Amino acid sequence: MHSIGQILKEQILYFHLIRRLSLFEIKSKNNSNYLGVSWEIINPLIQVGIYWFVFGYGIRGGQDVGGIPFFQWMLAGIIVWFFANPSILEGSKAIYKRKTIISKMNFPMSVIPSFVIFSKLYPHLGLLAIAIVTFQFSGYPITIYYLQIPYFLFSTVILLFSITLITSTLTTIIRDIQNLIAAFMRMLIYLTPILWVTRSLPDFVQMVMKANPLYYLVEGYRAAFFGQSWYLFEHWEYTLYFWALVFILLWIGSKLHLKFRSHFVELI
Amino acid sequence: MDRFVRENVSTVRLGLGSEDMETSVVIKNVTKKYKLYRKNREKVMDLILPKSFGQDFYALKNVSFEAKKGETIGFVGTNGSGKSTLLNIIAGIIPPTDGVVEVNGESAYIAVNAGLKNELTGRENIELKCLMLGFSKEQIKRMEPDIIEFADIGPFIDQPVKSYSSGMKSRLGFSISVNIDPDILIIDEALAVGDKAFAKKSMERMNDFKERGKTIFFVSHSTKQIKNFCDKVLWLQKGEVKAFGPTEDVLDEYDAFIKMISKKPKKKKKVTEAASR
Repeated sequence: MHSIGQILKEQILYFHLIRRLSLFEIKSKNNSNYLGVSWEIINPLIQVGIYWFVFGYGIRGGQDVGGIPFFQWMLAGIIVWFFANPSILEGSKAIYKRKTIISKMNFPMSVIPSFVIFSKLYPHLGLLAIAIVTFQFSGYPITIYYLQIPYFLFSTVILLFSITLITSTLTTIIRDIQNLIAAFMRMLIYLTPILWVTRSLPDFVQMVMKANPLYYLVEGYRAAFFGQSWYLFEHWEYTLYFWALVFILLWIGSKLHLKFRSHFVELI
Repeated sequence: MDRFVRENVSTVRLGLGSEDMETSVVIKNVTKKYKLYRKNREKVMDLILPKSFGQDFYALKNVSFEAKKGETIGFVGTNGSGKSTLLNIIAGIIPPTDGVVEVNGESAYIAVNAGLKNELTGRENIELKCLMLGFSKEQIKRMEPDIIEFADIGPFIDQPVKSYSSGMKSRLGFSISVNIDPDILIIDEALAVGDKAFAKKSMERMNDFKERGKTIFFVSHSTKQIKNFCDKVLWLQKGEVKAFGPTEDVLDEYDAFIKMISKKPKKKKKVTEAASR
């Protein structure tokens, strides 16, 4: 409990640092391209096109998902993925890749995964805006259910932070874990209802799949966009599960991070 | 916002109280142990099993000394003698394995192009580095013109650092570090690059620091630089203090030692690189 408090306190105390560093992070990644930062949006949009062609047009033959056209259904879920996937992959590398930060300065290291996640948050907000405009003009106008979006956005950020707090520490100790994470993330996109519909599976299989916290977030975003339900209240057991999981991950992450952070320099 | 709150597990970093206002840094029986592993397997075993694997390597053994305010202390020693390790410990970057480190004030560590990001411009790097050191937005805005003026690299300040020459990089790095106005300045071979004019300017700035009662630690392989600049010299040999005292005395001894080992170069020069980290 104490460690969670300390980690969260550092996030609040150095919030302006997280904001500025995340901007530098995006800039330094895209400075050498002519289109610069816009690649953070263009790249996912190209992928959306391909996924729609393969899974929507090809495999499903243009069939809708419970009354929602496949393209919209997929777009609502995949924007969460485009946020979560790079955040986890790069957040896990965050500490050991930043040797210069860690070895030359006295720095609150728990903000390193957060500013990496934040640097992925801006493109996510851009994609979110594009998705909302798309829905607006394709028959799914803004409804009162949109109020859930800030909640799910916040939940996503907290979940990603908890995960990367653990993984960034583990990868610094044992570099091989990064390969494991990369392999796992490649599977995860198919274990989350983003590209294909899981509703035809047996109930218990669906239950097991729901253990994946991204499932909760993807379905929550969808419920908000398509005005289906107050997902977080209607599935309150699932909401409780999600937050219990986040709490446990955050607890483990904080403990690990605080235990090992004075040794990061030596481990790199 | 204030500068980062330092939080260190094994190190005492407090004001020393009123009993001795003149002391700046106290190092007491500091030991730094690294583990050397022959195979990756040993590394994993050491991490998982309680039994110890791998070979112990002492980068520092029982090092003790004191530095007063306004003193400039040079560190000399052959490669791998533990100079950089000691500087890192004073800067609070790495914790010592054993012993007490008391540092009275804020320290800045300068190494050649430390922490500059190649893809960002010089100006962005200034902000980035100051942010990392815990300065607020307003403080950075105030410091920026001075840093740019001191670095004196003209229009390159708005170009990505990857287009800089190594001299320009070290100018910028040095300029940032001296302008953050630390109480303790730790310089690791940073003056080796840069032209005569800049070196002179840097020396003037450092003399200015000295007069204002700041402590400077200085590592250089140039005994001439140390002779000109340092009040005292700490000579490290294989992680142990061989001598500590007034510059003249220690340097004479050190020069004699260097002459001796360069006469018979085959013997006694097996020093591990790990210590120079």
